[in-house]
Parts: sequence; structure tokens; C-alpha cells
Amino acid sequence: MACVYIPVQNSEEEVRVALDQLPRDAADILDILKAEQAPLDLWLIIAREYFKQGKVEQFRQILEEGSGPEIDEYYSDVRYERIAILNALGAYYSYLGKIETKQREKEEHFILATQYYNKASRIDMHEPSTWVGKGQLLLAKGDVEQAFAAFKIVLDGDRDNVPALLGQACVEFNRGRYSESLELYKRALIVHPRCPAAVRLGIGLCRYKLGQFDKARQAFARLDPENAEALVALAITDLHTNEAAGIRKGMEKMQRAFEIYPYCAMALNYLANHFFFTGQHFLVEQLTETALAVTNHGPTKAHSYYNLARSYHSKGDYEKAGLYYMASVKEINKPYEFIFPYYGLGQVQLKLGDLRSAQSNFDKVLEIYPDNCETLKALGHIYVQLGQTEKAQEFMRKATKIDPRDSQAFFELGELLISSDMGAALDAFKTARSLLKKGGQEVPIELLNNIGVLHFERGEFELAEQSFKEALGDGVWLPFIEGSEKFQEIDASASVLQYKDRQLFHRLEDSGRHVELPWNKVTPLFNLARLQEQLHNAETASILYRLILYKYPDYVDAYLRLAAIAKARNNVQLSIELVHDALKVNDKCPNALSMLGELELKNDDWVKAKETFRAASDATDGKDSYATLSLGNWNYFAAIRNEKRNPKLEATHLEKAKELYTRVLLQHPANLYAADGAGVVLAEKGHFDVSKDIFTQVQEAASGNIFVQMPDVWINLAHVYFAQGNFSLAVKMYQNCLRKFYYNTDSQILLYLARTYYEAEQWQDCKKTLLRAIHLAPSNYTLRFDAGVTLQKFSASTLQKTKKTADEVRSTIAELENAVRLFSQLSAASNLHFHGFDEKKIDTHIDYCKNVLAAAKPHLEAAIREEQQIRQRQEVARQVALAEEASRKAEEQRKFQLERRKQEDELKREQWKSSTPGSKRRERSEIDDEEGGNSEKKKRKGGKKRKKDKGSKSRYETEEAEADMMDDQEDLEDEDANINYREPTGQNDQDDAEENAHDPLAAAGLEDSDAEDDMAAPSSTTGRRRRAWSESDDDEPLERQPLSRENSPELRDSDEEVKDEGHRPNGLDAAEDED
Amino acid sequence: MKLAGLKSVENSHDESVWAATWVPATETRPALLMTGSLDETVKLWGSDELVLERTNTGHSLGVASVAAHPSGLIGASASLDSFVRVFDVDTNATIATLESPPSEVWQLRFNPEGSTLAVAGGGSASITLWDTATWGLVATLPIPRPEGPKPSDKSGSKKFVLSVAWSPDGRRLACGSMDGTISVFDAARAKFLHHLEGHFMPVRSLVYSPIEPRLLFSASDDAHVHMYDSEKKSLVGAMSGHASWVLSLDVSPDGQALATGSSDRTVRLWDLNMRAAVQTMSNHTDQVWGVAFRPPGGTGVRSGRLASVSDDKSISLYDYS
Repeated sequence: MACVYIPVQNSEEEVRVALDQLPRDAADILDILKAEQAPLDLWLIIAREYFKQGKVEQFRQILEEGSGPEIDEYYSDVRYERIAILNALGAYYSYLGKIETKQREKEEHFILATQYYNKASRIDMHEPSTWVGKGQLLLAKGDVEQAFAAFKIVLDGDRDNVPALLGQACVEFNRGRYSESLELYKRALIVHPRCPAAVRLGIGLCRYKLGQFDKARQAFARLDPENAEALVALAITDLHTNEAAGIRKGMEKMQRAFEIYPYCAMALNYLANHFFFTGQHFLVEQLTETALAVTNHGPTKAHSYYNLARSYHSKGDYEKAGLYYMASVKEINKPYEFIFPYYGLGQVQLKLGDLRSAQSNFDKVLEIYPDNCETLKALGHIYVQLGQTEKAQEFMRKATKIDPRDSQAFFELGELLISSDMGAALDAFKTARSLLKKGGQEVPIELLNNIGVLHFERGEFELAEQSFKEALGDGVWLPFIEGSEKFQEIDASASVLQYKDRQLFHRLEDSGRHVELPWNKVTPLFNLARLQEQLHNAETASILYRLILYKYPDYVDAYLRLAAIAKARNNVQLSIELVHDALKVNDKCPNALSMLGELELKNDDWVKAKETFRAASDATDGKDSYATLSLGNWNYFAAIRNEKRNPKLEATHLEKAKELYTRVLLQHPANLYAADGAGVVLAEKGHFDVSKDIFTQVQEAASGNIFVQMPDVWINLAHVYFAQGNFSLAVKMYQNCLRKFYYNTDSQILLYLARTYYEAEQWQDCKKTLLRAIHLAPSNYTLRFDAGVTLQKFSASTLQKTKKTADEVRSTIAELENAVRLFSQLSAASNLHFHGFDEKKIDTHIDYCKNVLAAAKPHLEAAIREEQQIRQRQEVARQVALAEEASRKAEEQRKFQLERRKQEDELKREQWKSSTPGSKRRERSEIDDEEGGNSEKKKRKGGKKRKKDKGSKSRYETEEAEADMMDDQEDLEDEDANINYREPTGQNDQDDAEENAHDPLAAAGLEDSDAEDDMAAPSSTTGRRRRAWSESDDDEPLERQPLSRENSPELRDSDEEVKDEGHRPNGLDAAEDED
Repeated sequence: MKLAGLKSVENSHDESVWAATWVPATETRPALLMTGSLDETVKLWGSDELVLERTNTGHSLGVASVAAHPSGLIGASASLDSFVRVFDVDTNATIATLESPPSEVWQLRFNPEGSTLAVAGGGSASITLWDTATWGLVATLPIPRPEGPKPSDKSGSKKFVLSVAWSPDGRRLACGSMDGTISVFDAARAKFLHHLEGHFMPVRSLVYSPIEPRLLFSASDDAHVHMYDSEKKSLVGAMSGHASWVLSLDVSPDGQALATGSSDRTVRLWDLNMRAAVQTMSNHTDQVWGVAFRPPGGTGVRSGRLASVSDDKSISLYDYS
């Protein structure tokens, strides 16, 4: 064992001090040292020995004594040893300061250390070891630049000063200049090949940082295999190979390092990290707690806290996880050094709903990793929830661009795009689907459902169907969709309630089949049913809806869809029952209430309907635009329903309707139905130009979406054209509307069309249109009446023409006969009360037609005569020409024959024979002449007669003219009145009364004077216009609501589905990203 | 089973073609297709080339329905002016003009024996039966209101009769009305039997299966085709698929297929065993008012034929196999 010998003063003796047997009390040694005035290096040696033995107190005592003022005095010329003692103390306090966690003590230690070094410098300011010490102190204080200066001073004096080299290497390492650092370590190693392990460790670390992993490994491997730090370093490099084998080896080394030295925080952290992934959370906690206890190194602690936080995070303890993430973040000075806890914290905060904090944390992550997909997605999420959709889209787009193979990102991007750009959304979803399929993963039902819905909305029904079917997979629904399940025979009277019947599923279950419907397949099934409806497979749809209701009897939308199907088939009773079923589930459901209101209107239950619409409106605090619109429409109907037209009431109702439409428009400026309604009210008030603009815009907006079917706006537009006298455009508009929306089946629009032809005086078109309408709606006798009126009007107007052919007159007479037949049939039928016409009135028409018919006969005769005359004249002319020709020819022939006779005397007889026909012809021409004379005479006679006729005709004409004018008006009124039969009010009795009121007037009209006509005319035109409008009402608002409403439930539904998806937790995928 | 287009005649009439039926073959000629149109004419066409054989005039206001006597000798046509014209198919000589005011006339059908012509009487809520020997009115079958009618049912037009059909054995007569109900009568006793419910919109066409005398098919504006067991009063099947009104239907002579014509401009062929549409023909550009399978019989005629007529003024002929 090593000993030191303290020379005894003034003698040759020495005191032998065994270094391993130093007295417990340092004072004993001190006494000896002082007494014998031992050289200072001995002091230092002994102090160092104490230190090595961990007897820090004794070490300090000796050195403090050894640096006291007495010593300075006594050993004033022993400079080096004094400096060495001071430096030792300085180093000691530097170390204390370095490991001290409490800030104040730390400061104090550093101050002490500084004092000692300064004292040493005062003794000799060029002493390199002092500078090295100072450098170390500065390093410990984190003052890298000053430390660099201190080491530089030493190295400038001696470029091979190993401690300075090591210090400088450390400085460079901390500055991140690893190659410089490496050079310095290498130089130190060359100068002092047997230097401590720290040098090789430093070299290894530098190489590691420089990315020279193999060389780093070599450097670490050259170290003592029992060196824990080296093992840790080696383990880390192993782990970084990212191969299963490497990781296993790395973990083994880590474990050995832990066994050798259980307090290496780094090793503890790595082990904890490892056990986090193996899911041994208990070990994670123990290890990290130890690590936290043994280290004061900020980054390491941050790592430990992070491990702990992650462990709690994965266990779902978000509160604790949040706290530890927070602790971890607190240990980090610069986020770029260790960013993961920010990410974790962001996730936890997102989970706990603290969106703003989460956002700021993710923003920090993004600053460092601007291309991190998970972070981009998380931020996208947050922006969605903060309502900043555009920003959210921006982030999601970026995420998908950076990682075009991230199906989740595409999925979320798609969800974001649904509301703004369906096409792009669909593309995103499809990409997600194909990515998942390529990766062999199962495609989530929600994704397939969304793809289906988007295809559906774009009108790509087959693709939509495929997608829904894929989402649904196999199940009890399959035979129904494919139609292999047979229809169950039911009693015909029970079939009225077919859509309520769910017996079929009971029977299925009785027959041993499992009727199962997982909750997450309800939505795709509903959507598929909706699609079947769109494809007109109402039966399939109804079974699917019933299947949903069989398993989930609270699914309101399924009731409503069934009700809608029943309503489309005009089964109002069943429809109402189904809506009541829906209301049993939720009696405040605004959709169900609105639908009920519609049905009540259909049943002419005005008061009830209004109450129901009110209830629907109240149920949503007046926010449901549909309910408000319904009320608006109700008011509009109320304004125009009354035949007698109380102007005051009408104005109030119109005003109310306008107010309601406007209210909806204020809430939703893009609401087409409200705009349409407003246009109607405006038109009703005569502002045709404004309303035309509105209708045109609505029409444009409504095209291009399969869910928005707005035939009403076409009709309204046509009405405006009609009212403005632009008949050809009105005709086009009506025809397009019929074809586009009604498969040409709507007799009401045909009636509008006929009306337009009537005004345009296109009688044949008018007649054909009315006949088509009768064919479509045979029981609508009004149409027959209108047809009769048209024929009557046509005949009268033809007869008025000054030039007409006999054919024209003939067809006029035929049409008049048809009119008489139509009217007489109506008259006969009126006895049976088929319709609400007044018999007398029809008789008036019959009489009139018969009169005209009688009047037409002379016309016909005249026309026939005229035609005959013309024909005869032509005939005469022709005959004359023929005769002339014949005589000329005969003459020629005679001449010819004469010549021939002269030339060919031999054949005389034959020649004479041949001349006889010529003479016959002459005879005939004479006869013709006679005839011609006759016809001339006839013609003269005819002329006379015609003159007479003229007198009578003028009488007729005036009468006709009067009649026509009156008729015009009357007809129009009739038509209008009749049209009103179809209004929902349908109060026949009232109408009857109305008819009667009209009747005397109309009857009188036939004999009325011109004066009155003139009076009546202007007012009737305005009336006509208005009525043209009123014609439209009954149809249009009634129709348009079902359209808007019927579509909305499932649309909403799919939206909800989409949103639900959006809420899905983001998962912990981020954690896996970590080394 | 499938349909293959054989021949189409554009502008076969000047206006919409509203009715079509096959006149059975006689000893002297094969079967003819008879069509009626809004242009007030009835035309006869030779198969398969659809050669126009004759144009019959004499109607006003559009021909709504045509019917052919099973013998193939007599034809009947009805128009909106409520006259029924009975004529000799081969000479166009008028045999009788029938009317029974105030009833209008809609669909016409001869019974399988050819002894009676049934006419749907529209607003008179009745079917009129005419003796084909004397052309006198045999009976008027009124349609009773269904049990417990609502007093609010204000118009008599609800029972407006549009369509008629005879069962293949001639014992039953069914009629369809505007409100969707179908009424079944005992033809021999001229007695009402019962209603068949299920439709709530006009039933414009009815036909019995030629092989199952109880099976009745109905076409309605609700876009559905129903199959009823007309004796058991039960709904056997409901087939949806048309996008708009189903205007006409006919069962193939073998009883295996059903053809329907619809406002949605298509002709559909349904497999009655699968009860599903097997084919959709979209060659027409407007409502298809009539479909008719050619009856079997006649010389040299083995293959099945289906004709369809439309508002687009055209006639189409298909091979059915």
C-alpha cells in the first residue's frame, strides 16, 4: 500500500503515513503537517487521498487549512503547490456547483470556486492548470464561449496540454462542432495514449454525432467492457440500427450497463423506453423514478418525465400524463432539443378539450418538424374544431402531400372537403381506400359509406351502390337487396299498411335465421335504402328501412322515409301513421312535424296544418328554415285560396308570407326555396321584372344537384313570361319543365301550356294539349270544358276570317260539332254530379255553339260554291285551252292529211276514216263552250247571292264579334274558376256558388252591349294575370316542400356520420415515431 | 328471356300513339298490329316489317283505346268523344257505333269467347257490356264504393273507371279506377265480388295471366306493378323500378314474362319467376302508352313478338324469346 513520508523537521527522520490508514480526524494529520512544516505537495497528496476515500470533509479541511493566510505567509515562495491547492479547491467547488440542484447553493459553490481560482491566478496568472480549472468552471456554468477562451489561453502556451485539450474538445462538442471536437480528442490521445476512458468516450460520441456510427462503435468498443457509459453508448448505437437483432443486442447491453451501474439515468431512460413499448408500465414507472432521482441533468430528466407521461398517456390517464408532459417540457430549455413531450402534451390537451394550448404545442412541434404528418393532421383537427375550415384543409392537404401513403390523412382531408368540394373529397376518400387496400388493411365502414354518399350525390348511382354494399358486407339484408328473398303474400286490404309490417323479420327469425344488424352498419344500410329509392326500387328500400326499424325502433329517419314512400304512392293514411310513429319516438322532431303538416295540407286540414308547422317551427326556436318556409307557404296559399278574394285578408297573408320568406333568406341567403317564395310574392304584386330575375337565378342555382329538384321555379318563370305576353318563351319553359321533371305526366302544366296557346291563338296546339291533358287526367272534367271552349273559340275565329277555304269551314264545323258533343256530355254528366259545373251554363255554351254552327252552314255553302266556281273556272279555262289545242291539232292534222292525201292517193279510204275523230272533237268543244256559258251564268247568280249573304253576314259578324269578345272574357273566367277546383281548398259547394254567381253574367254576356265589354276588358286582364299566378300556387309550394324535406334527413344523417368520424381520437401513433 | 329490337317506325302517326293491340291471325292473313292515336286515326300494320295496311278515320278527339275480337275479324276503337266504333278489320266497314251517355269510354276488351265487349265507363263508375252479335247493351256493372267510405270523399270521380280485363276463362272481369282500387266482378252473373286494394293512384292497365286464371297484374301511376290473387283477395307481389307512371302492361303468351310501358319512356321486361326486371328498353323518347304481346297462332308464326307505342309517335317491334 502506498505511503507518504513526512520529514520530521531538523532531523533525518520521517513520519510514515499509510494512505489507506489515514486517521478519521483530519486534525491529527493537520497537526503533524503543520508541526513538521511539511512541504505543501504532501498536504495535497493527503487531501486527495481523503477525497478518493470519499472523506470529502477531511479533504476540504486540509485544503482550506493549506490555503489559509498563514500558509501564504509561511510558504510565500512555494508558488506552484499553493496554486495547486487553490485549484483543487476550485475544482471541488466547481463540481459541487455542477451537481447541486438548488439554484442558490449552486451559485454559492460557483462563487467559491471562482474565488479560489482567482486567488490562484493572483499568485501566478500564467499557470495553465488554473486556466484549465477556470475553463472547467465556466463549462459547468454553461458559459461555453468564456470556457473556450480560458482553454485557448492554455493551449496557446502549450498545444499539447491534455486537460486543456479535453476541455476544449468538450467546449467544441457543446458548440456542436463535432469534427473540431474530434480533432482535439484525437490530439489528446496522441499526446497521452493512456488517457482516461472519457477521451475514447468523447471520440465515440463525436463520431456518433458525425454520423460515423461504425467508427463510433469501434471507439466505444475499445473501452472497458465494464464501463457503464460505454455500454450505454454502444447500446444506443445498436438501438439505432433499427433492426430487430440490433435492438435486442442494444437492450442487452443496456441491461448490463444497468447491472454494472444502476444509477445511470441514460440507461434507465432507455430501459424505460423499452419497457414502454413492451407494455410493462410498472417497470417504466420504477425506472424513470430512479432516473429522476439520480440525475439533475435537464434533458435527461425531461426524457424521464416524458417516459412517465407517455406511460400514463397510453393507459388513458390523461390528467397525470398531462402533468408529466408539462414537467418534461419544463426541463427543456430549447424545444428543438427534445420535442416529443410537446407533441404528447398537445395530444393530451386536445383530448381534454384545451384546443388553444394544444394548438400552441403542436405549432412548436411543427416549427421543428415542419413536415411532420401527424402534427399537421393534429393541427388540422384542431382547426376544424375551432371552425377554421380553410386552415384545417391547408394542413391536411400538406399532410397528404408530404406522405402520399397516409390513408388516415386522406380520409380526414376528404371529410374536411365534403362541405366545400365534393369532387375533391371523393378523390381523397378514394385514395385513402386504395391505400388501405394496397396495404392489405380492412377499409373502415365509415370510409366506404362516405364514398358511397358522395357518389350518390354526384348521381353516380352504380358506384354508390357498390360502395354501400362493400360497406355492408354479408348479412341478413343481402337477400333483400338482391331480391332473392321472396315477397310474402299478404291480404290485399292489409297491403294498405304494408310499410308498417315487420312480420316478415319475425317469420325469418322463426325460421331460424338470425336477423342481425350491427350498429355501425345502420347508416350505410339507410343510405343504400335511400339509393334504392332514388333508383325507384321503392319495395327494396321499404324492406331495408323496415329492417332498420325492426332492430332500431327509434330510428326516426327510417319512419320518415317510409312515410315519404307511402306519400309518393298517395297512401296518405299510411304516411300519416308512419309520421306519428316517428313522433312517438320524438314528439318534437321538426322533420316529422313538417312532414305531418304537409300531409295535413294534402288532406285539406288547413287549421291543423298551420298548427303543426308552428309546432315544427317552435321545436327549433324558429331556426329551422324548412318550418318557417312551410309557414310562409301556408300564408301564401291562404292569401290566394279564397275565390272571393278578400283584398284585405289577401294583403295580410301575402305580407306575412313575404316576411317569413325574408326571415329564412336572412338566415340562409342561399336558400333557393325562400328565394323562390319571395319571387312568387313579388310577382303576385306585379313586380314581374324583379321576380323574373329571382327565378332565373334560382333556376340556375338549382341545376346540377340531384337532390334539388325545383320544377316550381320553371313554372313560375313560365308564368312570368306568360304574364308579360312572351308566349313562345312561356311555352318552351312549360314544355321543358314537363319533360325534365314530370315525364310529361302533369296535366296541370299541360293546362298552363294550353292556356298559353289559347292566348297565342294557336288553336290546334291548344286543342291537342288539352286532349293530352284529358288523356292523362281523364276524371278532370274541367279539361273537357276547356277543350270545348277552345273548339268554340277556334271556330268562331275561323269564321271571322274573310278568306277561308271550304276545308277550313268544314273542319270548323267538325270542331263545332265536337264542342257541342263535349258540352252536351258535360251537361248530361252534370245530372250525375260528376263535376261541379252548372248545367245552365253548359247549355248556354251548347246553344251558342249551335248558333255558330247554324251560322257556319251558309259559310260552308258559300265556300263550297266559291271553290266550285274556282274549280269550274279553272276547268273552263282548261277545257278552252284543250279545245284550242285540239282544234289546232286537228287543223294541223287535216293539213297534214291533205298533203298526205295528195302524196299517197293509193290509201285514200283509210285516210278518210282517220279524219272522223277530229270532227268529233270539234263537236265536243262546242259543248264545252255551251257549258262555259252556263257556268258563267251560274257565277253571276252566285254573285248575287253572295251580295245578299253579305248583308246577313255583316249582321252575323257583329254578333259574333260581340259574342267573341264576351266569350273571351267569360271563357277566361270560366277557365280560371275551373282551375280553382283543383286547389287544395277544393270546396266544391263554394265553387258552385261561385259558378252560379258568374253564370247570369256570362249568360247575359252573350247579349251584352259593347259598352260593357269595354268596361270589363281592362279589369279582366289584370284578373287574368293574377289568376295565372293563382293557378300555379296549389301545385308549386306543395310540391317543393316534400322535395326539400324529403332529401334532408338522410343528407343530414350522412353528414353526421361524417362528423362522427371526425371526432375519432387521433391515437398514439405519434409515439411510435419516436426513435 | 330477352327482348331484341326488330323494327321501329318513326312518325307512324301524326301525333302521340295512345293504344295498341294485336288482331289475331285469321285463315287468310297473319296477325296485325292495331294502333290508335291522338291524330284521330286507327292504323293496321303488318308484321314483322310494320307495313301500313290501312288507316281508319272516323274518330274525333283522339283514339284512347283499341280492342280486337278473338276471331281476328272485328276491331273496336274508343275515342275521347266517347264513341266506340266497331268495324270489320279487313274492310274497315263500320259494324256499329256504340255510346251510352253520359258515360265516357276508356279501355275496351273483348271476352275470350268473343261474345261480349267490356268498356270502361269513366266517370259513370261502371263497366258497360255489349253483345257482339246484336251490338246491344247487355249490362251495366256499377262499382260500389268500398265499405265505410269517408264522408269527406266529395267527388264521384274517385271511382272513375279506366281499365278492364277479362280472366282467361272469361268468368271474371276486373276493372281499375282513378283512386287505385281494382274491382272484381263475376262476369256471368254480372255481380260485383270484391275490391283489391293497394294502389292509391290511377290504375291504367290490367291484365290476367294467360296460364293462371286467378293471377291479375295491375299497372298504376304509383310506378308499381302489383300481382294479385284476384280470388283470394291477396297481394302476391309488388314490383317497383319504373321512375314514373306505369301506363300499360301485358303478359307474354307463355305466362313467364310481363312487359310494362311507362311514362319514364322505357319498356321493361319482368321475369315473373324472379319477380324482377330483366331488361329495360329505352328506345322511345316519350311516354310509352301501350305494350302488347302478339297472341300465338296463325301460319308460320312461331316466335314471340312484343309491340310498344309511344307519345313520340313511333311504334317499336321486338322479338321476345
